[in-house]
Amino acid sequence: MDDVHFIEIEDVHKGYTVGGSLVKALDGFSLHLDEGEMCALMGPSGAGKTTLLNIIGGLDTVDSGKVVVGGIDLNRLGESQKASFRKHNVGFIFQFFNLIPSLTALENVLVPAMFGRSDLSQRAEDLLVRVGLGKRLDHLPKMMSGGERQRVAIARALINDPKVLLADEPTGNIDSETAREIVHLFQELNNEGTTMIFATHDRLVAGRAKVMIRIRDGRISSRKKSPKDGMIHLRDEKE
Amino acid sequence: MARGTFNSASYGLSHLRHDLLRTVSMISTLSITIAFLLLISSLYFGMTTELSSGDERKGILEGTIPGSLDMYQEFQIDDSIPEEARTTLMNWLFLTSFLIFVVALFIIYNTMAIAVEERRAEIGVLRSVGFSSREVMRIFLAEGAFIGLISWVIAVFLGMPLIVNLSVYLIDRGEQGVFFVQPTIPYELTLLSLVLSVALCLGSTYLATKRSVLMSPVDMLRHRD
Repeated sequence: MDDVHFIEIEDVHKGYTVGGSLVKALDGFSLHLDEGEMCALMGPSGAGKTTLLNIIGGLDTVDSGKVVVGGIDLNRLGESQKASFRKHNVGFIFQFFNLIPSLTALENVLVPAMFGRSDLSQRAEDLLVRVGLGKRLDHLPKMMSGGERQRVAIARALINDPKVLLADEPTGNIDSETAREIVHLFQELNNEGTTMIFATHDRLVAGRAKVMIRIRDGRISSRKKSPKDGMIHLRDEKE
Repeated sequence: MARGTFNSASYGLSHLRHDLLRTVSMISTLSITIAFLLLISSLYFGMTTELSSGDERKGILEGTIPGSLDMYQEFQIDDSIPEEARTTLMNWLFLTSFLIFVVALFIIYNTMAIAVEERRAEIGVLRSVGFSSREVMRIFLAEGAFIGLISWVIAVFLGMPLIVNLSVYLIDRGEQGVFFVQPTIPYELTLLSLVLSVALCLGSTYLATKRSVLMSPVDMLRHRD
């Protein structure tokens, strides 16, 4: 039986040369995820989490193996087709927010839509209101807290209505209270059908995912499915 | 609230405002260069007259450079344009313009290259949100074009009136006489300087940005300030 999954990664190898020696980031990695899944990637630094996210998002290429996202075989895409794939299908969220320092919150959210045909200013404004920054539209990143910046980054990731959100340590640089709000936001988005994959060291954050995958040495070392949606373990969490 | 559309031009302007010191230094370098090129050209295109006593330009000369009249009293007027003086002037013009242009190109390129180096993470972000290399290049070129344009405007609207109205030149050619030059800038030259200014900026932006834009976005994202 050959099921079709939203994300199909099969036997992916990816190595980097660091200081003359080859480091295997992914070593025969395989993963299938369905649309609307919320998946947490855990594992030590250097286990291959970021590489995996970059490969799913079409930012990085594989040495060998199959990567299909939403029916699109990423190995077959050229550079500009990959850019277009990212624009229309993927939203990236980074640990260090990576906002453009010279642009206001609203402009930052509009960046991915810059070369698009339709004017998405109203949508950008709505998204910022949604992430709780309705009064910060014209603020520059330096005038905002870490949590606020990350929320701008989330709004930016959502502007082109992506099918999948990829977040690399999204709460790694913000306080735990704000982290909780952000994960709550992720859950809301996931409930609306957005597929979410995030790499995290934070067990509480990972606990909100429906699927939790541990990566070690470029392979999956364990895979857990939550007993009920969004709750693997929530000892210290209250709804 | 009414807001303008957000495009590569507004992106570029925001960044130029944000990085004000660098913007000002590039604009001042370039506007002084353009003004200087205009100045040199204005001598070439200017009205050259050999100076002598009895010429009505004496008055202008005396008014501009006090005491100059006494020094050049003995020369005779001759309205024909001396060919050799022109040639010398032209050689000087080409050599100096070339040197100045090369120096300006180098300074602008260098400034841009450092700026691009510092903005690698930004380029990585732009690539990650779905910009092709070409689209990222468009943003940087828009910034370059702005610098070229603003520099030209400053050079022409501040520099040119100074050149044309406030300067009178004397060229001493020894035994062949002393020539009086009234600077003139044909408007074609003004347009040419616009093309030159913008082209210089676009060229150096392209060269400074090309490598970074083509690099893997993953490598770019690793840069962090």
